[in-house]
Amino acid sequence: MIEKKIGIINRTQPHGSAKGRESLDLTLAMSAFNESLSLFFINDGVYQLLDGHNPKQTLQKHFQPLFKMLELYDVENIYVCKQSLMLRAIDPSNLLIDVTLLDVLQLKNKLASQDQLLSF
Amino acid sequence: MADIALKFAVVVSCAPYGAQGASSAYQFCTSVLQAGHEIVGVFFYQEGVLNANQLISPASDEINLPEYWSQLSIEYHFPLEVCVSASLRRGIVNQTEAEQLALSQHNLKPPFVLSGLGQLAELSAAADKLVQFL
Repeated sequence: MIEKKIGIINRTQPHGSAKGRESLDLTLAMSAFNESLSLFFINDGVYQLLDGHNPKQTLQKHFQPLFKMLELYDVENIYVCKQSLMLRAIDPSNLLIDVTLLDVLQLKNKLASQDQLLSF
Repeated sequence: MADIALKFAVVVSCAPYGAQGASSAYQFCTSVLQAGHEIVGVFFYQEGVLNANQLISPASDEINLPEYWSQLSIEYHFPLEVCVSASLRRGIVNQTEAEQLALSQHNLKPPFVLSGLGQLAELSAAADKLVQFL
């Protein structure tokens, strides 16, 4: 059986809800079973990768270092919306991990090529 | 009945009360089954784990969604899998976990079962369609 391509879409800011953290938990766990994962960071989701979180003062877990585990778990398809970065004045060099920048059309094509999508 | 029966896996990411998503997920499942398709399993994640809370007690003229899920799962023989780590953080505990964690209570409603995210990977692999309710 051909492995399904699963896209995991991250649309929300890293804190204020547990969506980002639970998406990353899911990604790391799923990577043990599926080697065709792709991560998408769009809209406020791009803030998840902006280096330098310090959520301790808001009683939240500092989960950002776990993004470094993606490479170790062979999750290499990490796509970030170029326009979302631009609108938020985020320089790609300030992102925590190596990513592939895509414009909106490229993103649409990548999303359309997935077999299954999960959204956070 | 459907010409070609499909296998559906459903992910529920929202609470049974206070948001519409879980009710919509339940209605989607009943429609899928009535159309002659198969549900391979429902996976409860994030706030969705609260659907497995046995203590949910709405007024008598309101819907008890955990009870609806239980009945549907028993009638159509599909599992209700609940992410264990998301559950424990939200106070959904089965007897085994309660004993291990030295908690005096447990509240996981049968036939919901606590399972890992690996189970979601298995449902995803087994399904023709994966549908998530936010």
